[in-house]
Amino acid sequence: MINMKNPYSYIEAEILDVIEESPTIKTFRLKPKADIGFRAGQFMDVTIPGVGEAPFTPSSNHDVKEYLDFTIMKAGRVTNLLHGMKKGEVVGLRGPYGKGYPLDIFKGKDIFIVGGGVGLAPLRALLYALFNEVDDYNKIILKYGSRSPKDIIYKSEIDTWRDRGKNVSLEVSCDTGDDTWKGNVGLVTTILKDLDINMANAVSIVCGPPIMMKFVTFKILDLGFKDTQVYLSMEKNMSCGIGKCGHCRIGPYYACKDGPVFTYDKIKDLPNIWD
Amino acid sequence: MEKTFYTITKKDLFDLFSRLSKEYRIFVPYKKGEGLYFGEFNAEKEDEIELGAIRQAQPFKSFISVSRENVLEPAEKRSGPVIVAGVKSCDLQSMVLQDHVFLEGDFKDPFYAKKREDTIIISHDCTTAKETCFCMAMAGMPFPQKDFDMNLSPVDGHILVEIGSEKGRAMVGGYKTFFKSADSRDMKARDELRAKVSEEVSGFISKRGTPKTTELWGVVKKNYDNIPFWQDFSSTCVECGACNLGCPTCHCFLLYDSKGKDIPRRMKAWDSCLYNTFARVAGDHNPRKHLYERLRNRIDKKLDYFPHVMNYFACTGCGRCIEACPGDIDIREIMKGLMKGAWNKPPND
Repeated sequence: MINMKNPYSYIEAEILDVIEESPTIKTFRLKPKADIGFRAGQFMDVTIPGVGEAPFTPSSNHDVKEYLDFTIMKAGRVTNLLHGMKKGEVVGLRGPYGKGYPLDIFKGKDIFIVGGGVGLAPLRALLYALFNEVDDYNKIILKYGSRSPKDIIYKSEIDTWRDRGKNVSLEVSCDTGDDTWKGNVGLVTTILKDLDINMANAVSIVCGPPIMMKFVTFKILDLGFKDTQVYLSMEKNMSCGIGKCGHCRIGPYYACKDGPVFTYDKIKDLPNIWD
Repeated sequence: MEKTFYTITKKDLFDLFSRLSKEYRIFVPYKKGEGLYFGEFNAEKEDEIELGAIRQAQPFKSFISVSRENVLEPAEKRSGPVIVAGVKSCDLQSMVLQDHVFLEGDFKDPFYAKKREDTIIISHDCTTAKETCFCMAMAGMPFPQKDFDMNLSPVDGHILVEIGSEKGRAMVGGYKTFFKSADSRDMKARDELRAKVSEEVSGFISKRGTPKTTELWGVVKKNYDNIPFWQDFSSTCVECGACNLGCPTCHCFLLYDSKGKDIPRRMKAWDSCLYNTFARVAGDHNPRKHLYERLRNRIDKKLDYFPHVMNYFACTGCGRCIEACPGDIDIREIMKGLMKGAWNKPPND
């Protein structure tokens, strides 16, 4: 639960495990010292006490109360230091902030999920949330793009996701392959075809690097999705998390409180959304 | 019903401050060179105190949303009873926005809330105006009409006191001997002074042709993609952030962590949207790479975002940014340019 008395402070969380996903990405399994729930798509700030904090969307199942997973790519000061942290060490957590994925709206629909790189992290939380009530969804399709086979995250579990329901299917593509790679070689946009989706009753959820989100969005609009059916993660410079510090403003919204997930119709006319 | 108006002499007011200074930290404006600067009340420096004149160099917001504080310490520890005297109308007007940001929504800022609660505002009419004053174009007046605990207006040799809140009323109640009844002559003298200063401000506004808020609806959107317009204004910007720091409506802040004597600290400090790093995220993505985009963002936030979300133009016409800017960027000229439409083109082109 969020500390309502002081939204800037954090609670302590112990690192239960560190899983190396790829050369630049690790999953940190954290056990908070107080109850701190979230809904898939919401984000939290992970603090290295006295050093700094950064926002991440938990990647674990929101129904699991014992721990929270954060899948984090080395990309800056805080994430570099986090990557040096070990099991048993303590970090801080505050949140959750923002709005989660609207599962109520997703129910009964074809769910078309497109992920790129570490962008699969929040989508993993979404997938687990969908799997919790897998029969409530018509179809769940995941298309995931990775730079190379060694950059694929959740390697040991991706293939098991297929077994979560008869209505679940997934495909992975690598921008460049190697000797072991049997799947598609090419950008994720090259596997967004031959889709059996009922466009009238579908939603698409996209998360990945900005350039990937841009081209995937254009592609799926071409496929027949409407602006209102496309859910994008706009993870701007969300600092305070509570709509006060001003850093993550996009047009009339703050990504931290009004997002970070927006339907495309809400943001398409706003400046610099893909940067 | 108790009276809302009293009078007090300047000497008695300062004696009252001396007495109150045992319970409160009292801040008053002091004259230093051309400007006025808030400082702690010191009875020995009474001659340097200037409650009237115009707005001070520091915005009043700095007493409530402090420029830098450790937000891991309890809010109670970071506050205490304070009186700020001499606050001007343009600064009071800005608190509507500051309150909106820090007190409304799902989360309250406990540090702001505590300071706001602990602070008594004794405002004061402007007794003169500066060329950079344009409050009346921004839906304000050079004299406080609301949101004060007590307002002071200088009239024939003494001060007319208007009570604006229960806090203000309690203060008069506790020190009755200092306050006398006001009469119609006092009211008349106040009205005359207000009319004189209003005329001065209006004069500056019409001389320059500064637009009014009523004319500014939608003009930022219209000019948003007019890149040469924004480049022209940002060409002399040195990204110092002085406009933000002096601005009574700027509210953005930065959170950064540090270690103080091995105890983790989280500092909340005023930030500037003109800085290149303001919107930058990891992986070197920056939605506002160019300086013109950052200047545009500042104006967009003030003249489009806030009007849109709370029907409020986030400029009170205090003119501090105009004086502070080493690049001579004048928000009034930006407003005029926005009104004209396409930059570098005749209005009807």
